[in-house]
Amino acid sequence: MKIKETLPISDVLPGMCLADALMDDAGRVLVPAATELTESMLHGLVRRNILELSIERECVEDPAIALARREKIEEALALRFRKAGDGAGTKSLYRAISDFSQEQQA
Amino acid sequence: MSALQVEQIVTRLMQLPALPTVVAELLASFGNEDVDIALLAQQISHDQALTARLLRVANSSFYGLQSRISTINEAVVVLGFRAVRSMVLAVGVSGVFRPEHCPGFDPHAYVRHSVGVGLAARALAQATGRNPELAFTGGILHDIGELVLATCFPEQYAKVLAYRAQHDCTLVEAERDIIGLDHAVVGGLLADTWRFPASLRSAVAEHHAPSAATADSLADLTHLADGVAHALGLAKTDSEMVMPVDQTAWQRLGMDSEKIARILPQVMKEMDETCQAFIA
Repeated sequence: MKIKETLPISDVLPGMCLADALMDDAGRVLVPAATELTESMLHGLVRRNILELSIERECVEDPAIALARREKIEEALALRFRKAGDGAGTKSLYRAISDFSQEQQA
Repeated sequence: MSALQVEQIVTRLMQLPALPTVVAELLASFGNEDVDIALLAQQISHDQALTARLLRVANSSFYGLQSRISTINEAVVVLGFRAVRSMVLAVGVSGVFRPEHCPGFDPHAYVRHSVGVGLAARALAQATGRNPELAFTGGILHDIGELVLATCFPEQYAKVLAYRAQHDCTLVEAERDIIGLDHAVVGGLLADTWRFPASLRSAVAEHHAPSAATADSLADLTHLADGVAHALGLAKTDSEMVMPVDQTAWQRLGMDSEKIARILPQVMKEMDETCQAFIA
């Protein structure tokens, strides 16, 4: 699971991945999203007085918490779909909503 | 059982306050290519309450505009006449009804569900090459029969809502069991009384039985959008319930899980702000 967090630039290490594009005041992209930051990039950003960066990193979720989250979503959907039958369209709708809800909660 | 007769409903519909003139004229303008857009924009502007609500919707994230719109003329120029017409109908028609005297009827849940269906129908229309603005209006108005029943027959409709809660059945089943007909039938009677264009009538009257409608109507889109909105739980009520997806509608729209998945982020993104614009 990927998580996004904002870190002071002093805590950002080379090799970390930028979550969102970094823009200057005029809206120009200084560093695109998903860039793997290097030491020289970080020095350059410090010189530009950038104080913090939005970083994306992989995080291993506790399997028990992940399972509980998935079960809660499935329970809510089962309740809403309790009279929806098992036609092909209904099943496809269920799958789309279930996948989307799991992604939203992740 | 307190069954309602069609004649009884039609009589009550005839006693409703008249639609604002401009809303009636916009309804009549469907299919008429010689519409005086400048005159209609001027007439909309004379209705201050309608204008204020329209501008709130126009300036919400729904249209994603870069700068704010402050007049109806600007809205027509920036969004186009068809978009403004759809918005006026969506906002103006629902405004006639006052369902607050019906115990158990939750007006906020009604608006949230209607907006959810409107947004889903609009996104599905964009994905399937249909008119998104008309689809949005059809979605907003699809359950107008519920508003008619809650406003005109509050005691009977309160019994429907209580029966539904007690029996854990669909709203349509509860309506048929208690009053002998459902909100889609009542919506169809309103559509006939107020001379809705055929496309909007199908969204209102046929969204629970789309396979009986023609493929080019709004019934398929509205039916599926209704399912999407309920499946996402957009009304935020415990009684939210998805009805079986009609296979004919599903196939005629060429739907699959991936296509549905693609519209969901857009619906969720626009949901809260569009609701606020409609509720305020």
